[in-house]
Amino acid sequence: MIRLESLTRRFGQRTVVNALSFEVPTGQLCAVLGPNGAGKTTTVRMLLGLIPPTAGRAQVAGITVPGEAAERSAVRRRCGLLTETPGFYDRVSAWDNLVLFGRLYGLSDDRLRAGIERHLRFMELWSRKDDPVATFSKGMKQRLALVRAILHDPEVVFFDEPTSGLDPASARDVRTLIANLRREGRTILVCTHNLTEAEELADLVAVIRTSLLAFGAPAELTAPHASAEVLVRLEGGADGLIAALRARPQVLEAAPHKDGLAVTLEDWRRDTPALVADLVGLGARVLEVRPRRTTLEQVYLEAVGRESP
Amino acid sequence: MTSDVLWLFLRKEFRDLRASPQVWPGYFILPLVAIGLPAVFLLLFPTDVSALGRDHDLAWLLQVATNEPSLARYPQAQRLGRLVIRDFAAFYLLLPIVLSSMSAALSIVLEKQQRTLEPILATPVTDRDLILAKLVAATVPAVTLTALTGGVGAMLHAGISAARYGAPFLPEVPLVVVLVLLAPAMGCAAALMGMRVSARAPDVPSAVQMSGLMVVPAGLVLAGLVGRPAASNAAVGLISALLVGLLAWWLFRGNVRRFQRELLLTRWGRAG
Repeated sequence: MIRLESLTRRFGQRTVVNALSFEVPTGQLCAVLGPNGAGKTTTVRMLLGLIPPTAGRAQVAGITVPGEAAERSAVRRRCGLLTETPGFYDRVSAWDNLVLFGRLYGLSDDRLRAGIERHLRFMELWSRKDDPVATFSKGMKQRLALVRAILHDPEVVFFDEPTSGLDPASARDVRTLIANLRREGRTILVCTHNLTEAEELADLVAVIRTSLLAFGAPAELTAPHASAEVLVRLEGGADGLIAALRARPQVLEAAPHKDGLAVTLEDWRRDTPALVADLVGLGARVLEVRPRRTTLEQVYLEAVGRESP
Repeated sequence: MTSDVLWLFLRKEFRDLRASPQVWPGYFILPLVAIGLPAVFLLLFPTDVSALGRDHDLAWLLQVATNEPSLARYPQAQRLGRLVIRDFAAFYLLLPIVLSSMSAALSIVLEKQQRTLEPILATPVTDRDLILAKLVAATVPAVTLTALTGGVGAMLHAGISAARYGAPFLPEVPLVVVLVLLAPAMGCAAALMGMRVSARAPDVPSAVQMSGLMVVPAGLVLAGLVGRPAASNAAVGLISALLVGLLAWWLFRGNVRRFQRELLLTRWGRAG
């Protein structure tokens, strides 16, 4: 579980993170969205005990940060971090890099060797284990960094721009791996600019720009308002239907749309059944009726744009 | 900190060293000078002391050797050669100072440049263990090279002196103290100073320049002050090693106290 309570960080006069409060329950994946300089990386660093907050506190895997050195060390032992750039010793083999980091996490010899082999095989990097990391592609380095982040079996994993700069296939692989980690019950925080990634992976989304602008499940954030447009897909044309619908009191607007109609209702949840009945009564062959949902991109742009200086 | 983590850091440093040809000259030139110059002097000095009177400078050197109480037990013909070998002991202090401080100066700033600093700082490793690993990685190659240079130099000088003077100039106890105790202590102190530079340097060239301008000269002054007395007298060597060791311990504690992950991550990095 990750819980932020008014987490704040200032660098001199500049407030980078301002009173951030939200909670990610155990086993859930939260995507933190925000433009460059929004405070995403600083937040992760505070949660890992690398940077002390100016005010507020957080709970990560049951440990309060900031705490004493022993607590900060305990948080790091229970957490994994995937940094934006993989950061390996390029002249050293993949195996030796992982052994070094595994040792720093205090893993025993047997556990370390077994873990490295299992993860490298899963990531399809086993055949390259003895090659210097300098010979790896960016996607391979990112997968190797993912192995490093989970080698010590952390309860909480932080991903900072995990697919930044990757080609689409590598990015998809990394997303699949992150989804697998969530299925294993780990609590995950992903900082990303990639809204599709967030929509695909996240149980929760936090939009931040220094402060928290929006927080919730993607479905909640993108849920239509009570007054919303309903898209109706029809078999055959919509001729004659528009004028009839406009005459109905609950219909605010009706217009042709690809494969059918776009109808704005007073309250889509209340009025949709009546709309369907009316359409059927008018002889229309209704194939599908769905509210036009707000996309995460719209939510994000609206939240960030609202706060733009 | 387990020994194999230290070993892994050492292996990494060796590989970095092997792949950084710009630092190789230091690893070749200094040992060559430390071994070669005394060998050249031993080969060129006249074995007939009476012939030295014709050369004013050599006569002065002979006078210094003659007046050196610790050389009084040797025949007059050997004193000059033994004095030269002893005076070059300062080079055995230069080696660990220059090489370990340069290596340490890169230790943190290079991690930052390679982007390995944050993954390392995000592990549960303590500040003390991390600094210890960096210290060992910076000091062991330099101290090992110094010991090797001392060993090879001793054998070569013994061989030349045996051929020319009829008696091998074997290493004296003070020189062994210099090599075994004082040089590692100097290396540690220089490495810890280099690490302070590395933690503050914005990039690799600045770290090398700052180390070259601040740490190396300070080390050279120290080596110049204690080199000859320590190589002449084992007690002086022991006391010097103890004092420099205490300085290294003080620097180590200061480095641990001043090690701030936050500053390392945010001073020149992005804080978004």
